[in-house]
Amino acid sequence: MKRTFLGELEEVILLTVAVLAEEAYAVTVAQELDQKTGRAVGFSTVHTTLQRLEEKGYLSSEMGGATAERGGRRKRFFRVTAFGRKALRDVKEARETLWNAMSPQTLQLMGN
Amino acid sequence: MNPKQHADPGPAGPRPVGPPRWAAWLLSRWSHPDAREELQGDMLEMYAWWLQSLGKRAADRKYALTALRLMRPLARPKRATDYSETYSFSPAMIHNYFKIAFRNLLKSKTFSAINVFGLALGMACSLMIMLWIRDERAVDAFHTNKDQLYRIYMREYFSGKVQAVIWTPGPLAEELKKSVPEIEMTTPFSWTNQHTFSVGSKIHKQAANWASSDFFKMFSYKLLQGTAEGALRDRGNIAISRKMAGAFFGTPEAAIGKAIRFDNRKEMTVSAVFEDIGANSTLQFDCLMTWDAYVDDNGWAKDWGSTDPLTFFKLRKDADPAKVQAKMLHLLDKTNRDGGKPYKTQLAMQPFQEYYLNGNIKGDKMDGGRIEYVQLFTFVAVFILLIACINFMNLATARSARRAKEVGVRKVVGAMRSMLAGQFMGEALLIAGLSAVLAVLLVALLLPAFNSLTSKQMALPWSQPSFWGVIVGLLVATGLLAGSYPALFLSSLNPVRILKGALKFDSSSVWVRQGLVVFQFGLSVILIVGMIIIYRQVGFVQSKNLGFDRENLVYFPIEGELFNKFNLLKEQLTQIPGVKQVSHMTATPASNGNGTEGITWPGSDPNDQVRFTPVGIGYDFTKTMNLKMAGGRDFSKEFPTDSSGVLVNETAVKVMGLKEPVGREINWGRSKVRIVGVLKDFHFQSLHNAIRPLIAYLGAREPQGSVVIRIQAGKTPETLDAIERICRKLNPAVPFTYAFTDQEYARQYQSEQIVGKLAGYFAFLAIFISCLGLFGLATFTAEQRTREIGVRKVLGASVAGIVGLLSKDFLKLVLMAIVLASPVAWYIMKQWLQGFAYQIDIEWWMFALAGVVAVLIAVFTISFQSVKAAMMNPVRSLRSE
Repeated sequence: MKRTFLGELEEVILLTVAVLAEEAYAVTVAQELDQKTGRAVGFSTVHTTLQRLEEKGYLSSEMGGATAERGGRRKRFFRVTAFGRKALRDVKEARETLWNAMSPQTLQLMGN
Repeated sequence: MNPKQHADPGPAGPRPVGPPRWAAWLLSRWSHPDAREELQGDMLEMYAWWLQSLGKRAADRKYALTALRLMRPLARPKRATDYSETYSFSPAMIHNYFKIAFRNLLKSKTFSAINVFGLALGMACSLMIMLWIRDERAVDAFHTNKDQLYRIYMREYFSGKVQAVIWTPGPLAEELKKSVPEIEMTTPFSWTNQHTFSVGSKIHKQAANWASSDFFKMFSYKLLQGTAEGALRDRGNIAISRKMAGAFFGTPEAAIGKAIRFDNRKEMTVSAVFEDIGANSTLQFDCLMTWDAYVDDNGWAKDWGSTDPLTFFKLRKDADPAKVQAKMLHLLDKTNRDGGKPYKTQLAMQPFQEYYLNGNIKGDKMDGGRIEYVQLFTFVAVFILLIACINFMNLATARSARRAKEVGVRKVVGAMRSMLAGQFMGEALLIAGLSAVLAVLLVALLLPAFNSLTSKQMALPWSQPSFWGVIVGLLVATGLLAGSYPALFLSSLNPVRILKGALKFDSSSVWVRQGLVVFQFGLSVILIVGMIIIYRQVGFVQSKNLGFDRENLVYFPIEGELFNKFNLLKEQLTQIPGVKQVSHMTATPASNGNGTEGITWPGSDPNDQVRFTPVGIGYDFTKTMNLKMAGGRDFSKEFPTDSSGVLVNETAVKVMGLKEPVGREINWGRSKVRIVGVLKDFHFQSLHNAIRPLIAYLGAREPQGSVVIRIQAGKTPETLDAIERICRKLNPAVPFTYAFTDQEYARQYQSEQIVGKLAGYFAFLAIFISCLGLFGLATFTAEQRTREIGVRKVLGASVAGIVGLLSKDFLKLVLMAIVLASPVAWYIMKQWLQGFAYQIDIEWWMFALAGVVAVLIAVFTISFQSVKAAMMNPVRSLRSE
């Protein structure tokens, strides 16, 4: 199996984009991250990561229509590509394999 | 971008506050260019959110920090924007333009060929003329000091008239250097004449001249041996050309310091060897001797009253030519040049570089000359290029119906007018580019022929950037000129009208097209008329009865020992069976430009000097020349008093106003002479000049100038051989050279002949290119009216009727062109004929002939297409409906 290189922050942001679906752009991603995970991720980090994910091919982007707010500037909407979805699935499967491999005692110890 | 723009509040902001301006500016200026737009928007939204959740101060801080982190000052745009801004030079559009252009070129091969070939001919013609002009302008441009070099000419004021004279007094050069401090160097420069030089048994004639020691310092003739300072220092020095050194000594190195015998009477020492003088120099000579040596031989050259050499001078670098001009104006006043004579002489100067092109004397100025031909051919070049461009314009607009739908569609999908104009202009440039390639090839092919026609040695300067510059310039100028009207016309079409139905030309565009055809044929008619008149004039000049028989008249210079042996020579020559008459004259039978003002007669006006042409002649001169007497008798050995007798011509009699001229006494200088005979007028100069008063004196005691021999027709070669044998025997130190009067005479019209020939070629080219265009237009019209012709034929029209119908419109235009162009041609040719004292009349038939030629060629051209259209089976043309 080909190993997918996806950093932790990258994974989270990629997931967030998937969650937001049609509405994913840098602002919503940053706010969603803030609200859902409470992590203090700077906007510039979010932006840079989105760009990197796009470069790696996990995301594709498209400019939206002109908007009345934000000075008429267009938004760049991100969408998870097939490759991105596969990467997310791979990561999830890898974790699940690990979870499933855990003994029931250990699971109990973890509060499950 | 203006930072103020970003000061607008966020959508949720309760107060009109914005992020720190400097940070917003940073973002707009230095963030990643690919993400700049969305980043600014995103940051505004984030700011609003921070403002809500954290307060203004924290929001400002966060905004600024984030902005700083987002700076990517070195980033280059990578991503192609999804929606590129529309601009006409995007690669896709250019690709499309080229594709469409090539498809159109290939679709109508006839028209493309006409366009490309016509433009190529026009360009080749212009290029050739430009080469010629460049060559003309390059004459004398090689002198390093060319901006400081001048030549002197004199203005003679007499009886209210001014006459410029290029020959100057001998002592003038020295005097100028002495009395005008700005003048650094000067030199006299005499007539270049053939003289005999010998070294041992080697005898050659060489063109010799005399100049001062400044000569090689002023002019940039390259010295192979010797120095500019030492070349002409001593009166025994001679500077010779590489060729002359080769002829006598083998190499320039071997020549230096050697002795060479001049005219079999003086030993000269070779002090310098210069590179052979090219055709790009006005001054031509094989060898130079010092002016001092010239004065030694010709004592009168010391005299201020003499008029012999040209005088050149070099100004100091910082001198003001206007001031120098003012200083030298009255320089001659202190000499006694005009002493006692009723006229005044002033000095004037002309930049040396203008000498070649502006060598003609017009009243008191140096004006005109070869420059007139340079101007004439510049016009011709522009005309022919214009005619070719008009072809392009006409064909492009006439055929615009075919492109109209394309224009309509392009406009509907958003093409702006400027883009369409650019597209069509680009196509014109493309065709001009193809033509330029063809034109350069044509020129390379035709240049040898052109060189032999103009007797020049021109070559295409491939390695010079300026040459390519000219070609590109020509290409761009042609492309813009030819493409401008079609581009403007096509791009102005209204898409609604084009796409709704067939394109109808409005009257103005038809008018422009017809006007252009008229203009084109007008130019052609002017060139044809010009060609006819030049041919007639040159023919007239060459066949005009000159008053003497110039056929079979040979002459050669009296030189060496012939001065003393003339009678012996004559005696031996007359024994040759082919020789009819032998005599001699000062000057030559083909041209005698001498002048004297010293003739006075009872009743002559002392304030109105008439310039006579003097000639010293031998016995039998009139018989040799076949001159007719109008009264009196010829010089004869039976009258010893003839030594003080003169012959005059009819013009002289008229000028003097004498009723009974024969036997009258007139004064020549201080001596009295008696008129013994009157000669009928004959031309002793080219027909550029009117016949001047002639006074012929008996020069038999000291024969000078030329031996003139009338030989029998049909025996020329053996007679010439016999003459040469006698001359060699009597005059062994001088090589025998001779000339035929008729050939020498014709040579005086060399430039007219060349111009006549060139005008012929250019007229042919002009009419050819015009006809190419006409052919194209006729083809197009015939195509457009295919159905109309079909219907007419079905209804019973004859082939002749249809041909007439198709030709009528074009013929009207050609006729109009003839009517409009004739007066213009008349005016231009009248101006040209002013250069001849004896002109042909411009007659109506010349215009008629030009007109008929133009009409015939036009009819011939059109008939190709119209007959083809008329012969076509109507079934075929109508079936398509």
